[in-house]
Amino acid sequence: MPMRHPSAALLSVLSLATLGAGPAAAQEPTRPTAQDASFDLGGRAASHWAWRPLAAVAPPDDGAPGTARHPVDAFVQARLRAAGLGPAPQAPPHTLLRRLWFDLAGLPVPPDVLARFVAEPSDAAYDRQVDELLASPQFAERWARHWLDLVRYAETLGHEYDFEIPNAWRYRDYVIRAFAADVPYDQFVREHLAGDLLPEPRRGPGGDDESVQATAAWWFAEQTHSPVDPMQHTSDRIDNQIDVLGKAVLGLTVACARCHDHKFDAISTVDYYALFGFVHSSRYVQAPLCPCDVDGDAYRAALAAQREFAAAWLAALPADDPAVGALRSSPPERWSGGAGCGPLRAGDEVIASADGPSTAWIRTNDGFGPAPWRGPWCPDPAAAAPELQLLPGAFWHSGAAGRWREGVLQTATFPLTRRFVHVRAAGRDARINLVVDGLHVVRDPIYGELHRAVGDPQPHWLSFDTAMWQGRRVFVQCLDQRAQDLGDADRERGPYPDDGWLAVQCVVLSDHREPPPADAGRPLPAPTADGPAQTPADAVLAAARRLAAAQAALPVSPTVPALCDGTGTDEPVHVRGSHRAPGPVARRRFLEALAGPDAIATGPGSGRLQLAEAILATDNPLPARVLVNRIWHHLFGRGLGRSVDNLGALGDPPTHPELLDWLARDCIEHGWSQKHVVRRIVRSAAYRQDSRPVPAAADVDPENLLLHRQNVRRLQAEAVRDALLAVGGSLRREQFGPPVPIPLDSDHEARGKPKVSGPIDGDGRRSIYLAVRRNFLPPMLLAFDLPTPFATVGARNVSNVPAQALTLANDPFVHLMCARWAAVLAALPPAERLEAAYRQAFARSPDRGEAARCAQFLAAAAAERQLPADDPAVLADLLHGLVNTKEFTYLR
Amino acid sequence: MKPAAPNPAAGPSRRDLLRSCWNGFAMLPLAALAEGQGGPPPRPHHRPRAKSVIFLYMDGGPSCQDLFDYKPLLVAQDGRPFGAKMEPTQFNDHGNTLGPRARFRRRGDSGQWISDLLPHLAQAADELTVVRSMVADFSEHTNANYFLHTGHGLQGRPSMGAWIGYGLGSANRDLPAFVVLNGGLIPPGGVDNFHSGFLPAHTQGSLFRMQGDAVANIAPREPTAALQRHKVDLVTALDAAGLQRDGADGAIEAAIENHELAFQMQVAVPELTSLDGEGAALRARYGCDAEYGPLRTFAQQCLLARRLVERGVRFVELTCPSTGHDRWDQHSKLDVGLADNCRMVDQPIAALLADLRARGLLDETIVLWGGEFGRTPFAQGRSGRDHNPFGFTMWAAGGGFRPGVAHGATDEFGYKAELDPVSIHDLHATVLHLLGLDHQRLTYRFGGRDLRLTDVYGKVVRPLLA
Repeated sequence: MPMRHPSAALLSVLSLATLGAGPAAAQEPTRPTAQDASFDLGGRAASHWAWRPLAAVAPPDDGAPGTARHPVDAFVQARLRAAGLGPAPQAPPHTLLRRLWFDLAGLPVPPDVLARFVAEPSDAAYDRQVDELLASPQFAERWARHWLDLVRYAETLGHEYDFEIPNAWRYRDYVIRAFAADVPYDQFVREHLAGDLLPEPRRGPGGDDESVQATAAWWFAEQTHSPVDPMQHTSDRIDNQIDVLGKAVLGLTVACARCHDHKFDAISTVDYYALFGFVHSSRYVQAPLCPCDVDGDAYRAALAAQREFAAAWLAALPADDPAVGALRSSPPERWSGGAGCGPLRAGDEVIASADGPSTAWIRTNDGFGPAPWRGPWCPDPAAAAPELQLLPGAFWHSGAAGRWREGVLQTATFPLTRRFVHVRAAGRDARINLVVDGLHVVRDPIYGELHRAVGDPQPHWLSFDTAMWQGRRVFVQCLDQRAQDLGDADRERGPYPDDGWLAVQCVVLSDHREPPPADAGRPLPAPTADGPAQTPADAVLAAARRLAAAQAALPVSPTVPALCDGTGTDEPVHVRGSHRAPGPVARRRFLEALAGPDAIATGPGSGRLQLAEAILATDNPLPARVLVNRIWHHLFGRGLGRSVDNLGALGDPPTHPELLDWLARDCIEHGWSQKHVVRRIVRSAAYRQDSRPVPAAADVDPENLLLHRQNVRRLQAEAVRDALLAVGGSLRREQFGPPVPIPLDSDHEARGKPKVSGPIDGDGRRSIYLAVRRNFLPPMLLAFDLPTPFATVGARNVSNVPAQALTLANDPFVHLMCARWAAVLAALPPAERLEAAYRQAFARSPDRGEAARCAQFLAAAAAERQLPADDPAVLADLLHGLVNTKEFTYLR
Repeated sequence: MKPAAPNPAAGPSRRDLLRSCWNGFAMLPLAALAEGQGGPPPRPHHRPRAKSVIFLYMDGGPSCQDLFDYKPLLVAQDGRPFGAKMEPTQFNDHGNTLGPRARFRRRGDSGQWISDLLPHLAQAADELTVVRSMVADFSEHTNANYFLHTGHGLQGRPSMGAWIGYGLGSANRDLPAFVVLNGGLIPPGGVDNFHSGFLPAHTQGSLFRMQGDAVANIAPREPTAALQRHKVDLVTALDAAGLQRDGADGAIEAAIENHELAFQMQVAVPELTSLDGEGAALRARYGCDAEYGPLRTFAQQCLLARRLVERGVRFVELTCPSTGHDRWDQHSKLDVGLADNCRMVDQPIAALLADLRARGLLDETIVLWGGEFGRTPFAQGRSGRDHNPFGFTMWAAGGGFRPGVAHGATDEFGYKAELDPVSIHDLHATVLHLLGLDHQRLTYRFGGRDLRLTDVYGKVVRPLLA
């Protein structure tokens, strides 16, 4: 039976016809929803291997005398022996080292390293190679890409316009750094779930908050603009997010339980919506890596300098002006009098106000300061004639410590029980969004009404008519600059940071189309002919300079897409996957089969930190099993359990269950170190053995499930391209940074087309740094099975299609690399060129037959080109032939 | 239920690998139909009526009230306030009732209603099975495109062409089962509309361009053919020596085959896409020499589509050339957009139907016409129509569809399907049925689930069958 799944399609014709009527009222479901009476969760958990605790097993003792056998080999060879087989001999040194380099670094072994190893291929020399590779930046780049496949990493949202996800690439760099630093895997997972909530975030280079960057992974979900039903869209987005969490970390298809209890695994619909609540209680935000401490001395000094400027400005005014006299008798925060919103009318309801408790607001980054700002401020202290402005009353103000400060200010989530939302604000180059049902991409055509630019420095009301969304749950999101907006066209987004600012006084939910009254307060005295505005006194200018300096002393933090806590809410079960049919509430908790049926004590926020601890609890066997199985997959081309993303009932059972559990325990005992697991496995004889077919095993173990030899594997897409760069001498070792645009051709005529076409050679950067725009993925990498980023892919396709051969035969990049390679080799004496080329491409010397065949080709090619045989163009032809051989793209 | 093709979890045999590379395209001679040569193709579930599909994909959502769905009430109420409840639409800029933009007439013996915007197609009215009660689940292009192509509104699922290729295999071991003839516009959602999703990569739609080289990287870069041949021979020799030295390996051997195939494709594809041998009179009937550029391009696409199904390609999809307006997506300036789009497709489609009929191919070829949704009977602004997934028209011809009938009906405004609604899943189920495939048994296991083109929906629409 096929299973019901993501149900964008749920929007049946009937439900479309009722759109605009708001969500259906909660009702008693007519049939069991949460857990069918016949659904035996406990029985399923007890009967399937993956739910069981990690077995405490010792490597089998085969009594082999004298040899201290590698524990991995003890497990592998015991099974081989039982089948009447033995292991293959170790692969030849050059084959082994080529394999090790591609597996660990994703690059061909350099000829000098090869020569040293082949000269003395001892175990010690091999171990040294392993350690050097594990310590290399290239290891981190190679293995980070494996992880990116699991979180469907992309830098755009896909869909019609392929909007950019601002700063997505910082996550890619975060993952590379995490692999380089061998961050313990449990910490790595914890950061992904709750990196924004850790009491002590992990600090990276320059003191940056590393942990928060992991939460960007939640936002690689595909998103559209203007879905007709926002809650449907959010439900689909969360379905994808739960799917990725379930597969990547737990090796379970949790999202299968969206519409009904899982058909095969111990996962109920209640489990699914218990997890849904954590995600739906969280929001998208651009979080800073190193925000200023708003309670710190420097920030306070910048705010104090504002006050000092106001004092200097006032001192420069004529003392005989009665208005000035009134100001001098009160502190600056009282200058405007008792101004504010109101009086409120019947039918007005304050959602959040700068005069109210600060806990009603969610603040991100340092822009909005430690507390609401009252009193005058100077928007531009660097101006020739610095001015003072006065906003009436208290405002959350992102300009007081300087207009280059950035921040996001949000309200709690509230239901639209009245038709109008009025926000009183002032600012420049700022935005205010109403986020309905978690739809963060607030855009025209449907949602233009909920998306406002703020471009007036005088306080004013922004009014939203929410007639179309009555009853839905919303929050107000105030962005003091455009670059924070998700799903905005690049051209509209503007630079980061910018000199815009935003001041917000209150948010009122109202029955009235007209906003409530507001007191404009006492104005500042008008500048006079000799007042400070026209000819600022020296003291005013000096105060302005001090203010400018105090503001400039505050660094601006880069940002990253991240999670932040919104209003913690438990989600009702969506009966049969439909949010229009709410069932019983599913209190937030982890899977019942692993953590019991009790809800997690979450506190007011999302509770993700508590969820992380539940997932990483020592009695959950899945994270470690899934992890070591994935590492095994990358080193053998197949996991011990082949279906690496699904260890559930429909997945493949492991070929070596005891070895899997032993490796998982070994990993945990060694501090969840991934490098330890890699080192452990590549040191085994099983990894190092030859890949040649073994006739005796052909019948007993035709699929090599027992590992009687190594598997022959095709290089992954990135390794093919990186190897071409490496042999061609074009590979640059530079790490990190914004993505390199890909070259565009006529196949790329579509909406959302990137503005820039990149260089053919991608600036010599490794493939992991190429732009990953969903609708414009690199064609060469796609031909070699780069996964489309829509779901977790732990085991890539290994396809065999003509596009691969055509790419290697005719792609301009391949020809360019061969030409550059030839130019480098041409510096060598002709007799040494073939040897050098073979060592680079294949990590070995040509045999006599090959040398003769290549010489014959050179002669023929020279004749065709009517050039001498040692001409670089002819040599490039030969090299092009070599990269087209299967030996170039396959690992033995 | 087991899929009609081997379970991928069992691991590919060498034979599978070789077959999968044969399903890539291009071994000479292309003219020879090589039914069954790549090993036994997957068997259909029941006796098929059709062998191939040509999908004329009208990207953007054609306005059916102006072409096929005649509503006298719209004529009568043109310009007046709309007389029924209006659902939220993409742009929510609702204007008054907008009458049809051309005169409707009954055509042929069957008396099908077709407007004057399609004079050539009107002559083929008796070949058409017009479904006037289509419904879709999405009113936004990208979701609706994915839904129409893959039965699912989000990115990442296999396209119907991929499913059909997976279910039936290619009838020609030298050509892919699924070819997209790209007239110029890639629909919203991108090439993922033609993707293999989780199905094997060789089922993916192969994109043929109509300008320049038909296939990416098809043109050799060597200055002479002989030099390229030398290079291929070198690679072949070195690969053979490698197998000798390092031992046989199924995947490597399949890749070696593929290399040779790719080399041959460089000759085969230009031969396939050259229309020179088709005769001037026939080319003129399609419109290959027409003055209007988009018409010329679409004519070439239609003619090439016939050549492809002749050679056993299972699913040929045509995307529209650009007319300079936004596809069939007339949110404004409906009159000029409709006129240009109809001018582009009318003559070539009529010629294609006649040509297939004359060659005896129409009975075994399903020709399918339509977009991802229809358009509103009321105006958007003054001069456009907004998206309408509640009721729209598609038509089919040949391949076991019952000719000369109209099925289902929208309400009196042409707004919502009222009589016998047909969902996209139903359409998929019906097309699969005519190809000999049971949509409930054509499954593929992915991520632990047996997935289908029709999700858990769909029924074969029997009244549409001949």
